Amino acid sequence: MTTHVRDTASVIHGPKGCCHHNVSLLHATGLENDRISIPELVSTGLSESDIIFGGEEPLRKTLESVACRDVRAIYVLSTCIIDTIGDDVTGVCSGDYPVPVIPIPTAGFLGGTFQNGVNNALIAIAGTAPPCGRTDGVNIIGERNLEYEVEENYRELHRILSNLGLAINTRFVHATSVDQISLLGAGRLNILREPGLIPVGEYLKQRFGTPYIASFPLGLSGTLSFIDAVARACELNGRCVAEEERSLQEEILMGFSDIRDTPAIFDQTPADPESVRAAEEAAGRLRLKIGRFPDSTPLPAAPSVGTYGVKRMLHRWRRAIHA
Amino acid sequence: MPECSNPLWPCAMTGAAACLAGFEGMSVVIHGSSGCYYYPATLLHAPLHGTFILEHEVIFGSEERLLEVVGGLSGKGKKIAVIATCVPAVLGEDIRSMLENYDVILVDSPGFAGDVETGYQKALAALPIRVTPDTPGVNIDGVSLFDPYSAGNVQELRRLLQASSIPVATVFCQDRFERISASAEYTVGTNGDFASGIGEYCGGTLGLEEVRATFGRMANLFGDADITPVLAETDAQEERIVRVCDKYLQRYDPPSVIIAAGYAYAHFTARTLERYLDADIRCICSRNPPGESRYAVEQVTGIGQVKDLVGSHDPDLVIGSSFERAVSPGRAFAGITPPLRGEIRLAPRPLAGISGTLSFVEQVLNTLLDTRTS
Repeated sequence: MTTHVRDTASVIHGPKGCCHHNVSLLHATGLENDRISIPELVSTGLSESDIIFGGEEPLRKTLESVACRDVRAIYVLSTCIIDTIGDDVTGVCSGDYPVPVIPIPTAGFLGGTFQNGVNNALIAIAGTAPPCGRTDGVNIIGERNLEYEVEENYRELHRILSNLGLAINTRFVHATSVDQISLLGAGRLNILREPGLIPVGEYLKQRFGTPYIASFPLGLSGTLSFIDAVARACELNGRCVAEEERSLQEEILMGFSDIRDTPAIFDQTPADPESVRAAEEAAGRLRLKIGRFPDSTPLPAAPSVGTYGVKRMLHRWRRAIHA
Repeated sequence: MPECSNPLWPCAMTGAAACLAGFEGMSVVIHGSSGCYYYPATLLHAPLHGTFILEHEVIFGSEERLLEVVGGLSGKGKKIAVIATCVPAVLGEDIRSMLENYDVILVDSPGFAGDVETGYQKALAALPIRVTPDTPGVNIDGVSLFDPYSAGNVQELRRLLQASSIPVATVFCQDRFERISASAEYTVGTNGDFASGIGEYCGGTLGLEEVRATFGRMANLFGDADITPVLAETDAQEERIVRVCDKYLQRYDPPSVIIAAGYAYAHFTARTLERYLDADIRCICSRNPPGESRYAVEQVTGIGQVKDLVGSHDPDLVIGSSFERAVSPGRAFAGITPPLRGEIRLAPRPLAGISGTLSFVEQVLNTLLDTRTS
């Protein structure tokens, strides 16, 4: 998350290897999303003696050095070993630096799960945004930046919101500038990527009074419900938009009539229950014979954001059936 | 300064996993957090197990969790190896005593102990390797799952040794686990950065000169060996390399080059490019501590340093990992160093042996020509 805030640096406080893990994985997922550049991650490079004598001094020196670069803020992410040896990271970060230094509690397993780390980072970054006047735009909260189809999912959400006459205020956070973050409180509605982000939604509601919707639209009926929920939250009449979307869905399903009545079974790993439900719904609409038959084709129950997400999933089903 | 921007090389824990996970018949357990498990699992593409310790284990001890995982794996016919990561190392628990009821290889290789090569050597040192005079042939070493060329190197070395009628003993570290207890007295290398130190070293196989010298030594050691086919192939293929490189030089100036790799591969590529293309080796950015070299060489740990060196030396060709590719837009690039992200690699490619040199020169000439024409 923090590497998606432009013109900032993320310091990973721990041994170099922990930072390399992140650099390498972010680099890999970035390339898959056509981003050639490497995110700016700095390791405090703790050695065995630092582990024994404490890592606060290397952290302070690193912050002093990084603060002299052309950055507008520094995020400090702690690692497992740091909370184990008990460094006072918050204390070091509260020192006198020329740019804001924001500690984020992410101490590996001591910080909880991956989702906890995401939520902690978003809440810490949101804490830097000042109150501001409302606009007509909506905020997108917690896009899965490591997701292969993150941009396609955003474009689908953008399409649906545009049909409702709504603009995007801030993508919080996906290649977001510090200035855009300062407008976070201006959104009239927050749309969370997934329900795991509800603590972030609650925090933003408390801080800025912004209501939220707990998930991107998943599946066919889920997309129609989403349109209805956004329209109600923004006090719009969404009936026409929903009808047009329903027609689009019918048209798409007609295009896949050739796979009707095919025996199939869902490959449910690693899909989440919501994605499985969306896949079951699409299969039902196409009258696929779902079950463990001898000639059942395994189909991916892929996460399908919006109507076009379902369409991409159906293309993968057709490929699986024909392959 | 202690800090390092965008560190380029994995930690000792990953190195230990890269060594141990290469053996069939071994279950490797990463004793640490989910993050410590996840990275080597995705990098090495090998089955690993994890204890996934949480805050509870840090406070109350990790014995119960470790025994749960090791107990679940024991009795299934595989040797178990446990790699202790940073936090268990700091907690000060007596892991060896915890595991006394199990036949387990314990490797203390926390990330802060060093880089990937350090962990690889720690794991090798913990293995019950036995050299037996009765085992015929040579071991192959320098093989690490971390190295994208390791599978190709093993394939190539097996081919050349078979052509010379020299049996292959144990491959360190990509073999069946039980074979380490009957290793041969002699070893041939593929990548000096991961040398095993096991048996008498016959030499490396990076570059055609090394192939000739090493196989020449082995011809003296093994009475039944016939290295004539390997020498003949080396000469024939070198002629082909010389011909295509000469054709390149007929039209273009020799390339100026920056090489970012582990020292052994970096030195091989520098020698090869100088020998066949009269290349200007402007700098070697060694990932690990470099040995003596006639080239300008320095150890480089962060991508910022690489970017600065590319900017100051202004090379035509950059050799390295996808990190180097990212900071060298518009320049010819050849990837030999992990990670090689953003490209699909299915077939095993060697850097060692005769085919390794052919493959490397081919890669370099193609990228130079592609860049010139674009």
